[in-house]
Parts: sequence; structure tokens; C-alpha cells
Amino acid sequence: MTSLVARQIGIPGRLQPADLDVQAGELVALVGPNGGGKTSLLRVLARIENASGVVAIDGEDLDLAPLSRRRRLLSFLPASRDVIWPIAPRDVIALGLDGPNPARVDELIGLLELGSLADRPVNRLSTGERARVLLARALVGNPKILLLDEPLSNLDPYWVLRILSILEIAAHSGQSVLVALHDLGQLPRFGRALLIADGQVQMDEAPASLMASERFEQVFRIQATQGGWEVRRQADPQSSP
Amino acid sequence: MPGFASLLVASAAVRVASLNMCSDEYLLLLARPQEIASVSRLSRDPADSSLWRLGQRFPGNRGNLESALKTRPNLLITMGGGGKSTALIAGKMGLRTLDLPFPSTIQDVANGMTLVAQALGDERRALPWKARLARLQRSAPATRDAIFLGAGGNSVGVQSVEAGWMRLAGLKQRSLPGGRASLEMLATRPPAVLLRSAYRRSERSLGQTWLEHPLASPKSSKIVTVDGRPWTCAGPLMLGEVDRLRSQM
Amino acid sequence: MRLLLIFLLLVAAVGHLLLPFGPLREAQAVDPELADLILIQLRLPRTLLALGYGATLGISGAALQAMFANPLASPDISGASSGAALGAVIGGYWLGLTQPLLLAACGAAGALGILTLLIALAGRRADTTTLLLAGLALALAAGAATSLALALAPSPFAFYDAYDWLMGNFADRSLAQAAAALVPASVASILLLRRAHALDLTALGEDVAASLGIKPRRLGLEVIALSAIAVGACVSVAGAIGFVGLVAPVFGRSISRGHPGSAMVPAALIGAILLAAADLVVRSVPLDRPIPVGVVTALFGTPLFVWLVVTMRRRVTA
Repeated sequence: MTSLVARQIGIPGRLQPADLDVQAGELVALVGPNGGGKTSLLRVLARIENASGVVAIDGEDLDLAPLSRRRRLLSFLPASRDVIWPIAPRDVIALGLDGPNPARVDELIGLLELGSLADRPVNRLSTGERARVLLARALVGNPKILLLDEPLSNLDPYWVLRILSILEIAAHSGQSVLVALHDLGQLPRFGRALLIADGQVQMDEAPASLMASERFEQVFRIQATQGGWEVRRQADPQSSP
Repeated sequence: MPGFASLLVASAAVRVASLNMCSDEYLLLLARPQEIASVSRLSRDPADSSLWRLGQRFPGNRGNLESALKTRPNLLITMGGGGKSTALIAGKMGLRTLDLPFPSTIQDVANGMTLVAQALGDERRALPWKARLARLQRSAPATRDAIFLGAGGNSVGVQSVEAGWMRLAGLKQRSLPGGRASLEMLATRPPAVLLRSAYRRSERSLGQTWLEHPLASPKSSKIVTVDGRPWTCAGPLMLGEVDRLRSQM
Repeated sequence: MRLLLIFLLLVAAVGHLLLPFGPLREAQAVDPELADLILIQLRLPRTLLALGYGATLGISGAALQAMFANPLASPDISGASSGAALGAVIGGYWLGLTQPLLLAACGAAGALGILTLLIALAGRRADTTTLLLAGLALALAAGAATSLALALAPSPFAFYDAYDWLMGNFADRSLAQAAAALVPASVASILLLRRAHALDLTALGEDVAASLGIKPRRLGLEVIALSAIAVGACVSVAGAIGFVGLVAPVFGRSISRGHPGSAMVPAALIGAILLAAADLVVRSVPLDRPIPVGVVTALFGTPLFVWLVVTMRRRVTA
């Protein structure tokens, strides 16, 4: 049973038209250099801008879905953590719901350990705390598809791991999760990885084989070593791994 | 004054420049065309003067002597002074000047007519007007409560010369606080007669809009529209207004 | 809290309508119908205008602040009110239009023109400084242009009307004028209120709002157009009144727990109460010269405005 089907989605000048299929329960990482197109792919899937092509979720065309339906279908979390209005986290999270549901909001508050901050205006929280609030908003409505742009950046290691496990649980329960990643360290936890560079989806396979591929090293200009990564030396075939 | 008159009789034709719309009225009523050198611009404007057709036959000035110089007047008529530059130039040129005071009573207006007629060389020119005034004063009817209403609710003072003219027409101007009628007062104590000024009625202003409020036209008052222009000066032209008002009562 | 606001609104409305009570009692003694006449033809339009204009300022102020994502945006700071005054003055004094609805349209056109200029100058996502500078510059320019238009108008009385246009006046307006202002303003305000939830979602950022199906650009244009119509109609009858559109939404947001769109309803109530109270102050000052309503709103609005700026600075540096 396919969850998300995208055909010929692209943004002129930033992302070449591509096709994408994502099954229910998949946890997909989008990796690539800055400006390469990761964010553009997420944005065009969310139908945010200059959206060309067709995106269907469980057969439903996203562009034709009424406002009330959209929330159930997908949730988009941008990389920016700005909220300019002094709204309490409790209310920010509630924005992700159709109608009042205090019990569900409390669930997310507990899940992301926001209890002590639940009523402090969100623009007075630290970046990391705000990131958790905004993630909670994205999760609260239980949408079929989660599109998250760099949700793990600038977080404490504790929260990186906690959020990863929250996303794994979401995938297990049938949601499809697409995550743009900056830090390659978490890549192995994902079931599928897309390499996006120069506005193109260059690779689409399991993280392990992706990281070992020549294309990966070309794009990132680094190579794998025993202990981790090191800068790739260009025209030296004798360089030792 | 007698010295003046003899000088004029002996001299060549008099040429008069009037620098003020209100003094223009006296001049235009009493002088022969060749005696008028210049009148103020306002007397040539239909919006401001009911004598505009007559006024347009003569050159206009901007209310000061400098603008009237080229018409070569030899007599200057002003009201309330002509301003410093006028006095200076007139003195330098040796021009004769006649400054009329602002009228505060009808008698002041009559005196003004006499003074201007004298300056023109013949006091008798003012007689027809004075006779008309005397006739009106002899036949003054009993007065009714009235209010003169201009834009924004502005009215006239109880002791003003305008109120004096209204009395001649059988209308007693009510005493109003601040010289202004309020919509509430018009609603609670409407006057027997309401004189609505048509002065610049077609030109928009908030004051004009005020006059269009339903309460500004009380149903129980007799509303008479008046040509507001002669009321600005409340001078010799008001005889015609009094006649008109009497015929409407 | 909302109940308290509604109660205060009723008190303000009744007080504004009936005070001063003396003249009404006297009129009643002369003729019972007289008191009704004064109440309906004189007092009612004034009360309706004060309440309606105040509510309009609250709603459009909140909507503009949501749209510009800036707590300092408002009809006066953005120049919309001044633009509306300019439009109404040109329509009334130069084009000679007398029909109140046509004048309301001129006011709306003026407000729309200035808001368009503001966006062209500052951009829609401008930071506070840019927005403030551009908006104030435009407001000053429009105000000066209004004075000039009045000075050069055909009627020599026009110049003395400048105070009323630039600082507001509710006195002696007729029911027809009140209707010409409040009918378009109500329609536009209701349409704005229907967008409350969409405006709430813009707090999460334009991208999230777009992902949920809202078109941010179209929403922005709608907010601008509807605010221009609502404010323009009111200004065309009662002149430009400042500070209420800035201050009411601030308090509205503290009632709506920070949500910018849901703040519109409480802002409307607060704006109505504030403006009715200001007009009551104007009416009870025992001077024979009238004090424009805008002076009173400036008196209470300025300290609040200063406090806003100070707290904003503190928030940024924190």
C-alpha cells in the first residue's frame, strides 16, 4: 500500500522534475550539500511554492484537498525556528489540530518534555526548546506524511536521540516520515536515503550503500575512514582509506 | 469735510480706487462708471459679490494700493485701514484717502453712504438710498423669533448690524452662545423663522455638510434661503435683502 | 474576561448615548417626541460611529499586525488612515462628490493606495525599523498632502476643516453618514473575522501556513483590501483617528493568548470601548472650543506606544 506518490515534482531553477514513491512506514533521510535541493524537495511535496507536478497521498491529490483535509494528510516543519508572537507552547501545539483536544496536546507536551515550559511565551524559549515545541505541533495532528526540514540541528545529543526514536515510532505506526538531514552521523538510523545535489535526486537507496558510493564522496568531497570521515584528497588514487 | 468738497468741485474728474469688497459696495452704488478706477477682486467674483456683473466692468485690485496704482486713482477708499504699504504710498503720492469704519449699526451704513457721496463731489447722490431706508424704518413690522444660519451653524450677534437689518424685516435674531447654533438647540427650540445662507453652497466643506443634517432644517420653522453675499458686508445692499425678506413673511 | 469586555462595552455604549442626560430630560419635558428625536437623529449616529469606528480600528489593526508579522503595524502607522483622509478630501472638496457612499469609496481608495505604496517601499516581511520608517513617512506625506488639498480647495472654509480630517470628529454626523461609514466597514470587518484562523496559522510562518493550504500572498492582499475599505469608509465620515488601531490589538492579543488572528474579536471590543470613552471625554470638557477626538486618543495612546517599543527592544536583546 503506497502512501505518497509524487510525479514530476520540481521547482524551476532549484529542483529538476522528479518522481518519488514513499510507502507507509518508511523513514527516509534527505541528504546533500547546502543549497542542493533538499529543502526544495520538501517544500514542493508540501505544495508550498511554484508547485509543479502532482502529489497524491493514498490516492488523494493534495492540490484538490480542502483545507480541513490537509492537516490530516501532511505536516511540514521548516528549518527556521522563529515564532514572532508570544504564544504559549500549549497553544502553538494546538494550532496543529482541527479542534480543541487538550488531552492530545498534553500527550505531546509530555512526549517532548515541555511540561515546565508549557505556558511560557514561545518566543522567550531557547532555540532548542522552541524546536521541540514546533516539532510537537507538526506531530500532534497525526498526519499521514511528515515532512521535516532539519529537525535535529542545534539540539542536545539527548534530544537528537529522543527525537530520532520518536520518528521511528511514528514510522512504525504507519506514518511516512521524510527528514532533511545535515549531520550524517544519524544517517544509519534511517531505512532509506536520498542524495540530493545540484537540484537533482542523484541517489535513492539504503544509507549504508549510499554512504559507501563513489557519488556520495564526490558530492560531499569527503571519504569514509576507519574512525569516521576525512576530507577527500582529489587527484591522488594512492591515498589510503 | 467741506474743504474736501470744494477741492473736488474745483479739480478735474475724480477717479476712485476701492480696496475692500465692503467699501466697493458704496462706490459701485454711488459712482458713475468713469469715476471708478478699480475695485477689489472679490467684487468681480460671483461667489462673493452680488454686484459682480457691475464689478467686472472695472479693473480689479488685490486689496492694496500697489495693485491699483496703474489705474491712476486720485481718491482711495478703504475700510478698516488699507494696510501699512497703502498708507505709505498714498502719503508719498499725496493721494486723498477716505477710510470708512466697520459699520456696527444701520446708521453707520447710512453715514458711509453720505461720506462716499461727498467724496465723489455730490452728497445728494446718497438721497434715494436714504429715502428708501427711511421708508423701511417707518414701516418696520412686529418682530418674530429668528436665527440666521450659515455654514457650520455660525450665526450673527444679537447686537450686530446684521441683526439690525433683520429687525427691519420683522425678524429678531436670537441670542446664541458663542454666536453659533447647535443641532440640539434647533431641535429643542426651533426658531419661528430660519434664514439659511446660500453662500458658496455648492462648494464642499464640513460646514456645508453640517447644514445638510436633518436637524438643521427644523420642520416647525419657516425656512427662508437668503443670498449670503450681501450679508458678508451687511452694508447698503441689505436694503434689497430686507425688501425680499418682507415679501416672504 | 470576554464577559467583562462585553459588559464594559454596554456601559460605554449606554453612557455615550445618554450622557449628558440633562438636555434629554429638558427635551422630554417640552415634548416627549423631542427627546426621541434628539436621541435618534443626533446621539445615535455619534454613538454608532464611535463604537463602530473603534471596533473597525481594532479589527483592521489586528489583521494588519498579523499580516505584517509585526506588533507595530496599524492603520495609522502604516499610513492607511492618512491616505483615507487624503482620498476623502480629494473626492469631497475637489471632485465635488456629496454622496456619502461615494466618499467612503474615495476614502477606501486612498487607504489602499497608501498601503500599496508601503508594501512597494518596505516589502511585506519588513523588519520593524523599515516598516515604521516607511509607514510614518507615508503617513506624514499623506497628512501634508491632505492639508495642501484643503488649502487649495475651492471653498475658502476648507482649510479650517483640516483639524477634523487629520484628528477626527464625531460631532453632528447624520444617520446617513453613519450608515455610509458603518455598512461597508461592517461587511469588510466580517470578512476579515472569517480569516481569523488563517491569520492565526501565519504565526507558524508563511511556509507552514502554505503547507496547510493557505495562500499567504492572497491572504495578504485580502487583508490589505478589506482593511482599506473598512478604515477608508470610517475616515471619510469622521476623519483619521490614531493610536486605537495600534493599542487595541495589543490588548486583544493578551486576551487571545497571543494568537494574532483570534485577537481580532477582543480587539474590536476594546477599540470600541476606547473610542467611545475618548469621545465621551471630548464631549464633557467644558470648553466652547471643540477638542478633536484624536488628541485624546493620542494622550492615552502615546505612553502605551512608548511602552510597546521599550518591551520590543527588551525582547530582541534578551
